[in-house]
Amino acid sequence: MDIDPLPNGTPAAAVAAAAAAAATNAPSSKLSQLTESLKLEHQFMRVPFEHYKKSIRANHRVVEKEVSAVVSAISDTADTTDVSGEDDAVDRLNSLVSRLQGLKRKLEEGSRTEHLQAQRSRARLDHLESADPENLSEWSNTRLKRILVDYMLRMSYYDTAAKLAESTNIQDLVDIDVFLEAKKVIDALQNKEVGPALAWCTENKSRLKKSKSILEFQLRLQEFVELVRADNSMRAIAYARKYLAPWGSTHMKELQHVMATLAFRSTTECATYKVLFELKQWDFLVDQFRQEFCRLYGMTFEPLLNIYLQAGLSALKTPFCTEDGCTKEDPLSQESFRKLAMPLPFSKQHHSKLVCYITKELMDTENPPLVLPNGYVYSTKALEEMAKKNNGKITCPRTNYGCDYSELVKAYIS
Amino acid sequence: MDVNSIRDAFDRVVKKQKLSYSKTQEAIDQFSQEISDSIEKIRSAHNSDSHSDYKTLLADLKTKIKEMAPLTLLEGSQKELNVALSKYPKLLEKSFNPDISKAYRNVDLDTATINYVIASHFYRQGLFDVGDCFVTEAMEPESIASIRSPYVEMYQILEAMKSRNLEPALKWATSNCSKLKANGSDLEVKLHRMQFVEILQRGNRDEALKYARSHLAPFASDHLVEIQKLMGCLLWAGRLEQSPYPDLLSAANWDKLAEELTRQSCSILGQSFESPLGVTIAAGIQALPPLLKFMNVMWGKKQEWQSMKQLPVPVELDDAFQFHSIFVCPVSKEQATDDNPPMLMPCGHVLCKQSIVKMSKNLSKSFKCPYCPTDIDSNLCKPLCF
Ligand SMILES: [Zn+2]
Repeated sequence: MDIDPLPNGTPAAAVAAAAAAAATNAPSSKLSQLTESLKLEHQFMRVPFEHYKKSIRANHRVVEKEVSAVVSAISDTADTTDVSGEDDAVDRLNSLVSRLQGLKRKLEEGSRTEHLQAQRSRARLDHLESADPENLSEWSNTRLKRILVDYMLRMSYYDTAAKLAESTNIQDLVDIDVFLEAKKVIDALQNKEVGPALAWCTENKSRLKKSKSILEFQLRLQEFVELVRADNSMRAIAYARKYLAPWGSTHMKELQHVMATLAFRSTTECATYKVLFELKQWDFLVDQFRQEFCRLYGMTFEPLLNIYLQAGLSALKTPFCTEDGCTKEDPLSQESFRKLAMPLPFSKQHHSKLVCYITKELMDTENPPLVLPNGYVYSTKALEEMAKKNNGKITCPRTNYGCDYSELVKAYIS
Repeated sequence: MDVNSIRDAFDRVVKKQKLSYSKTQEAIDQFSQEISDSIEKIRSAHNSDSHSDYKTLLADLKTKIKEMAPLTLLEGSQKELNVALSKYPKLLEKSFNPDISKAYRNVDLDTATINYVIASHFYRQGLFDVGDCFVTEAMEPESIASIRSPYVEMYQILEAMKSRNLEPALKWATSNCSKLKANGSDLEVKLHRMQFVEILQRGNRDEALKYARSHLAPFASDHLVEIQKLMGCLLWAGRLEQSPYPDLLSAANWDKLAEELTRQSCSILGQSFESPLGVTIAAGIQALPPLLKFMNVMWGKKQEWQSMKQLPVPVELDDAFQFHSIFVCPVSKEQATDDNPPMLMPCGHVLCKQSIVKMSKNLSKSFKCPYCPTDIDSNLCKPLCF
């Protein structure tokens, strides 16, 4: 009892194990903890940038298209024989000049949008920089709200997303407008219309191609199936020739599979084909679209809330959470949180951390644990207080065992 | 992560974008100018009966435009911008963790349960409008109604306190006085004291005295010193700032009182003081970095991760998240369980039972404590309950 453990309580035998842990475990000082948490904010920075980039590209495409149209119009005017004279030539050229003027106006408008989007990226950088390790509570509150808005947007609870962002003035820190673009497509798919989804594919053609997306093919297949369902074989075949055939070289099997529906029709009982006519195919398309959309903007597929919730539940989950004495402050004392934690692993700790049953305070060298003769342990603070109030008598709150303060012994925890 | 270098990289993107914009404008202007020039020439040719007719001039224009190649000009204006646009996301991926879902376990988190947790969070934070909107959009209102109403009352009390009105708080404290007492809280007397100070500071000495007699006196047995001090204040009615107790007027007292009231009403409602959703997310933010580091190393073992019963790496959370005693045997590094409880050795050091069994060769002989030179008789070790 006369020798305390080493200052950090680590015996030589366990150093090796602890070192292995240190390699993966983040250092726990406040500043490095904050730095580590900021590194989780990739999506926060990436999405507004992708949005900005998308506008730049779209604006540039408009310019290219218009300019090349004017170039070929000049060519045509020079080559054709039906310009009826100087006046007609001047008229034609004048209309081209005003077309270019119109393009310039459009370009200016586009530039204003780009500017606003650049501002948003800057606002996010400023926000990251404003995180101060000494005063984090407001920043953390905002982070929780950002995470909640992200959840609302991904679950299509747009009204709540807007209301929450507005009521706390964090519009620049969340991506409502980006998700409104997805909303159009999702709404249409839920109404069994592929038009907006196809238009979205065209808009993002090169990037979708790069990631080998087959979303467009899947949409085309669905449209084909709908023609078969409507018993419109002729149109279905024409459609397949035009829109499905180009995918043949890479997706022949799926193509043949769906073409066979022409023979089986929508009333088929054959399971392989019946499934193609099921309405849940549309939900599948919504899911596929959501995934492509997230990939394009550099977002995780899962809502941020679910990711943090899982990590947090696992880190808090101990075998003691379900015991009777579990404090209300532990989220896992609640039924709903327990249910969510059910399929998740228990936490793992490398060092003892003892919480006094009475005061709920941590027991450490300042407030060391004292052992009652019955083996129950409480903090010095709690027992001193109890002894003071009861003339040195101690009663174990869990067993009603009684003893004298002088009978307590100190436990040394490493 | 270096925010400044990210900022620099972003500024570079914006600069290139502006440059590209002005180059594009220029190209269009130049293009447009060529056409306007041709128009001028055609007009003047027409007026001056010159030999070159409009057809030749149109052909000239066509050639000129071909030479000028406005599309190539446009392409050129984009080149540097494209470089900046593709560099920046790479910097982001390097500076941040590009995929925080790597440690996500593919299980169905029940949406209805998550929504319930979120709705409760909104209400307990006093965000009733947002909460109502969410409930309408995402769930069955009946399932949550019982959570809403108690918080409505709590926030009405807190709102009133913000405008220095203690009536609702006092009314609530009086009707919950036995529960408050059971919690060991003296919130009721604190509220009365505050009310007394308010009356006194308005300069109304008689009314203050009357208030003290009817509302403070009943607490005299437990709060005698405090009440004596307050009665002393009667001498400074209306000018408490000059009394020996100017801190009675501090605005911070109101904040403390509001916090205590929140704490007590949550406790009486059977709820935690902190939002459980907030606590869990905050824990997740601390837990995720070490988990992601582990997953980056162990990416090939993703399958195993899906079925692990315990996290593969230790995750040390701040003390604020420590709700239970966890004893880790300093020898075996294993967490104590019912079957392998912590044991107090006669020297005062604590090890897990299995470690003691091992070191005592199955309890057959004594061994040396690894932390002090004491010889330990394993029969004298006793299990602890934290
Ligand atoms: Zn020892």
